[in-house]
Amino acid sequence: MTEFLQTVILGLLVGGVYALLAAGLTLIFGVMNVINVAHGAFLILAAFVTWTLWDATGLDPLLSVLVTTPLMFGFGWLLYNATIRPIREAAPSASVLLTFSLALVIEGVMGLVWGNTSHAVRTPYFDQSFAVGDIFLPKSQVYGCLLAIGVLAGLWAFLTKTWTGRAIRASAVNPQGAELVGVNVAAVAAMTFAVGVAVCGAGGSIVSVLYPFLPGSHYVWISRLLGIIVLGGMGSLPGAVLGALLIGLGETMTTTYIGPEWATAVPFIVIFVVLLARPQGLMGARLREDVAL
Amino acid sequence: MTTASSSSAPDTAAGAPPRRRLPFGGWALLPLAGAVALIGFPFASDDLFWQNMIILSMLFAIGAVGLNIISGWGGYISLGQSAFVGVGAYTVGLGALKVGGDPFVWVPVAGVVAGLLAMLLGLIAMRTRGHSFVILTIGFLFLLQLIAINWDELTNGTQGLSLPIPMWDVAYQYWPFYYALVAILGLSLLSAWRIRRTKFGTGLIAMREDEDKAATVGVNTPVYKMLGFVASGVFLGMAGGVYAYYLAFIDPRGMFDIVISVQIILCMLLGGRATLWGPVLGAFLIEPLNELANQQMGGGNSRLLIFGGLMALVVLFLPKGILPTVHERLIARRARGHAGLVGARIDGPLVIGERTAPTETTVDPGAPLLEVKGLSKHFGGVKAVDDASFVVPQGSITALIGPNGSGKTTAFNLIDGTMTASAGEVWFDGRRIDRLPPYRRAHRGLARTFQITRLFRDMTVLENVVAPLRSFSWRQLNASAMRGDEAARAEEVLTFVGMERFVDQKAAALSYGQQKLVELAQVLMLDPKLILLDEPAGGINPTLIDRMGEMIRALNRQGTTFLIVEHNMPFVLGLCDPVLVLARGTCICEGTPEHVQKDSRVLDAYLGDDFVVERTVEVAR
Repeated sequence: MTEFLQTVILGLLVGGVYALLAAGLTLIFGVMNVINVAHGAFLILAAFVTWTLWDATGLDPLLSVLVTTPLMFGFGWLLYNATIRPIREAAPSASVLLTFSLALVIEGVMGLVWGNTSHAVRTPYFDQSFAVGDIFLPKSQVYGCLLAIGVLAGLWAFLTKTWTGRAIRASAVNPQGAELVGVNVAAVAAMTFAVGVAVCGAGGSIVSVLYPFLPGSHYVWISRLLGIIVLGGMGSLPGAVLGALLIGLGETMTTTYIGPEWATAVPFIVIFVVLLARPQGLMGARLREDVAL
Repeated sequence: MTTASSSSAPDTAAGAPPRRRLPFGGWALLPLAGAVALIGFPFASDDLFWQNMIILSMLFAIGAVGLNIISGWGGYISLGQSAFVGVGAYTVGLGALKVGGDPFVWVPVAGVVAGLLAMLLGLIAMRTRGHSFVILTIGFLFLLQLIAINWDELTNGTQGLSLPIPMWDVAYQYWPFYYALVAILGLSLLSAWRIRRTKFGTGLIAMREDEDKAATVGVNTPVYKMLGFVASGVFLGMAGGVYAYYLAFIDPRGMFDIVISVQIILCMLLGGRATLWGPVLGAFLIEPLNELANQQMGGGNSRLLIFGGLMALVVLFLPKGILPTVHERLIARRARGHAGLVGARIDGPLVIGERTAPTETTVDPGAPLLEVKGLSKHFGGVKAVDDASFVVPQGSITALIGPNGSGKTTAFNLIDGTMTASAGEVWFDGRRIDRLPPYRRAHRGLARTFQITRLFRDMTVLENVVAPLRSFSWRQLNASAMRGDEAARAEEVLTFVGMERFVDQKAAALSYGQQKLVELAQVLMLDPKLILLDEPAGGINPTLIDRMGEMIRALNRQGTTFLIVEHNMPFVLGLCDPVLVLARGTCICEGTPEHVQKDSRVLDAYLGDDFVVERTVEVAR
């Protein structure tokens, strides 16, 4: 029983961090109909930046969120305008191929700069836990999850309380309609991409504390994040949170009861099952498609 | 490969069937020369560096020719193609090591295993579209890699497996690998060439252009999608098997390598997607670059930078690829100074041959042909169609009118299967059809046109008109894309709608009104019992509206029943009887045009509950 509870709690802690990472991906898809395959690479890039800051100054990696978030915001904005903007009107496959090539280039650059070896950030509390009865809560997991929830709450407030945020949501629901009521959808798309990447940057800092990483890790991460948004329903923010918690649980359960080497299979199995049984995902909106016809 | 070379060089972009008039006949010699050079090379040179480069180029070419079937023609991008390399490699490796026999014996088995896996994935992908399919292929690749890593007892995990050393005389160098790949490449080109000329190929292209539309004209899209994926994987699986034997060593990361997927995609994109030879050209350009990256620049990171960067550049600046771009330039040069046909007048006699319906039923005027019972469709809280019931009598021209947003188009979508109903039944010709997929409904004789025309834009008018399929059979897949009788019938229906002079025009080049006519001709090819017309008179000029009315009457005299959604009231009321009125998703009134015009509920629905005629008249005074 303790083992089970321990597993569930770890799963939820992990899932909280996943939720933050998947939020940007699903937001970008919802507004632009672009699957940002480079999301995993952005995340690892932010993790490396965090590592460098920590290595040079000893800055607590969770504090470096204050650096990585704006940094990745600017990076995302530039990248969007330089590469994705020109193909906004092209077929959807073009954006997938383009973001995938960005992922490869970022992976190559990271390999050149930091080397293809495993990196990890060691905080003073990395091997400490809070003990609640028989259950252990690793401090880094707890701090990471709390920070992720904080950033997610900030994202939610931004989307619901600010004009830009509402413009982003309006563009996701109905781009033509948003354009008609005075939203510059092109600018909103750039803003969304940048916000999505920025949130991912915050997530990267958290990830650097929790897991070792190397440039090639982005494949595992993008697979996991894609599994999450497919499960939750592509484009749905609450869906991403739900999907993240479920995948987090699925992974820790698999680790405990089957074997850690199969944990990474969970997102793939989830992708297959969801696409077979319920292609729109758990909370995918079934919007009417015939309005424009 | 010589068979494949005839008339195929200009076969680009939409990839029309052989067009004899194009002046590139001499270009057909290029692939022939390439084939001769490829086969003769080992005799001319014993340089292993070049033999190696050609062997790897052929591996990429086989992958890219296959990928082109599902991506170039079918429109589905796969990032998981290297999964087939891995599956083929492990089939050959494990077969030779655990079962025995010469590794080459296992190469055909590798093709079968790859094909079966592709079929499995195709089954999962039946209901997925666009982006989800890409995600699925990524997941497929990484899951297989993970299995190869974790299933230690079988695969030796990340340590990998060493294959038997080749036993032939060193004087033969890499010849057996080389010619095995020549043969597989030849086979894959031959099958791609054949596919392009069959119903299977045109069905794939129709799917790429508009998958929902393809289903409404009778294309069994799930099966086409699945088989397209199988065709893309079989030969690559075989090539992967040869590749494994060639390397004499396999491991999960090298075989299930997503960078190989990227290189295969790049070969297809660079050479030109939806062409036969583009992928081959791309492969022989990309592989030397691969050698350069590996040998001169240390592989690894520079390989990622080069191929990632190159793919970004191709997507941004050369999206069509080399061959189609060259082809377009040539066409543009040839067409300079000629007036376009698109503005020509449409006229001619209204004659159409007798229909040859596959399952002729006795026309029993007045009996219900289409029956809708309690049909509902909810989008979240919006009830677009809410408990609608109506009947379309056989032999009638029935109108379905109603204010904007009353659910007319949604009703059409539910009847033809583009959407599935939340509740209710649809009966057609005595059978319940609301659970059938759209193509099965089309096969039963139910056709529809769209409010905003949905032709296959990159196909010619003639190709559009012969795309519909009246049935599905496995033999049909291998049937010629355009049989003689189909071409004759297509000419007949195009003459009927007055568009016979436009057969070679791209559908996208036509005006809106012309597209409406071609779309009508297209569905006539199904020999439908019932045609659903969504605003046939919308957005076209008055002369054409009259002509449209005459065509509908002419077809109706021959026994075709119509259900027409239209806002042009004089047109509807002059043409149709009975008239059904839909408001707030339900059928509120039906009857003759005269009856409907006087019905108070209809006036309410169009003008609002609080609209009182007298008061308005007073205000006007």
